[in-house]
Amino acid sequence: MREAVPARKGAAHDSVSDLVDDLLAGNKRAAAKLISLIEDDEPEATDALARIFPHTGRAHVVGFTGPPGVGKSSLINRLVRKYRSRDRKVGVVAVDPTSPYTGGAVLGDRIRMADTGVDPGVFIRSMATRGHAGGLALATFDAVRVLDALGMDIVFVETVGAGQSEVEIATRAHTTVVVEMPMTGDAVQTMKAGILEIGDVYVVNKADLGNEDVLVANLKFQLTARDGWIPSVIRTAATEGRGIDELADALDRHAAYLDQTGFRAKREVARARLEILENAQRLLSRRVANRSRMGRAFDALAEDVAARRLDPHAAARKLLWPTRPREK
Amino acid sequence: MIPIAKKIRVLIAKPGLDGHDRGAKVVARALRDAGMEVIYTGLRQTPEDIVEAAIQEDVDAIGLSCLSGAHMTLFPEVVKLLKKRKSGDILVAGGGIIPEEDVPKLKKAGIKVVFGPGTPLRDIVAFFETAGKGA
Repeated sequence: MREAVPARKGAAHDSVSDLVDDLLAGNKRAAAKLISLIEDDEPEATDALARIFPHTGRAHVVGFTGPPGVGKSSLINRLVRKYRSRDRKVGVVAVDPTSPYTGGAVLGDRIRMADTGVDPGVFIRSMATRGHAGGLALATFDAVRVLDALGMDIVFVETVGAGQSEVEIATRAHTTVVVEMPMTGDAVQTMKAGILEIGDVYVVNKADLGNEDVLVANLKFQLTARDGWIPSVIRTAATEGRGIDELADALDRHAAYLDQTGFRAKREVARARLEILENAQRLLSRRVANRSRMGRAFDALAEDVAARRLDPHAAARKLLWPTRPREK
Repeated sequence: MIPIAKKIRVLIAKPGLDGHDRGAKVVARALRDAGMEVIYTGLRQTPEDIVEAAIQEDVDAIGLSCLSGAHMTLFPEVVKLLKKRKSGDILVAGGGIIPEEDVPKLKKAGIKVVFGPGTPLRDIVAFFETAGKGA
């Protein structure tokens, strides 16, 4: 086990165990460093996550999704202040897209959340997707765990402004909030499959623009119950702070519902299944990548396939299980 | 697909009360196009806000833009607060309308580099690339 964190920028070397100790003591710098380790997929990240994991599972995780510009960041900004006034600590992980051309990103969600300033009970982290599809980054929910271990009572996850089918958030968060705004389409838009099936709470933001009743009616017409919970539909105007109390109440009601009915535990198991499979796939694909770099055996297989001595499926099996050629 | 890799993270911030952020946005865009992750804080930030954001975002460097003339107060304050928070390893660059005679004083106060009007974007990108490599 390597203990030293590679100097990200010529900084003092912090060991993983020191960072985790500091994190559990509520140190924000340690939280930030740990998130970077995970995001950069450093070898130490596995050890860090293993140490953090026993200290997680307490925070209520709320995902926000919806089209770009609909007001997700502004709503979260208002909610952060609302929850602070209710004396709860709040974490935010806000995801924005990485350029598929340059790998760069402009992360701008913080602009909308500037009100929280230096409040010690708030931690906001911006994150780029780094090529991961589905509106989230690969590291998003491990970062949520870090904030959970930091002692945050509620963690908001803001997805990339999603289109119609970025539904991954609903498999990860305890509560999924789908944000929409008026004047964006007729009743058929709200009948479409995908993002409008996943909400536990629907928000019609920008109610100050008017015409919100039509969208509220259309949403209510198509609501589907998840785990016996009929989704709430809340009207808000984030810039004016309207509807924020009602939204916070709806989030708390849903959290209480999940606890009382045992669905929170069930969602945790469903999420665990997904995470185990995902991690297994990652390990496997890493193994494949290593094998394909091993050279001679891989080259020989490629020659065999090109010469029609072997089909590509059989070659793949041979690549993974060279000693068991008949493995299915 | 862009593989996961260590990325250079930069905070671009506007301290103080001036509302001119075209320059900050142009720099943010140039750094994005150079493959960096740029967190833009928006206008009217206090040095405390900026340092808090830099720590939470675990950035390699901060770019401060000031066109109001308050740079002699605001820029050194950011450096001072970073040191106080045990984050003096985060490099600070300044830009904006900054008189020549102020530049040595700012450098003495810990501002690594000052980019005045007319600075080619490639010089700015090069600075942050070096900053991200731990130089």
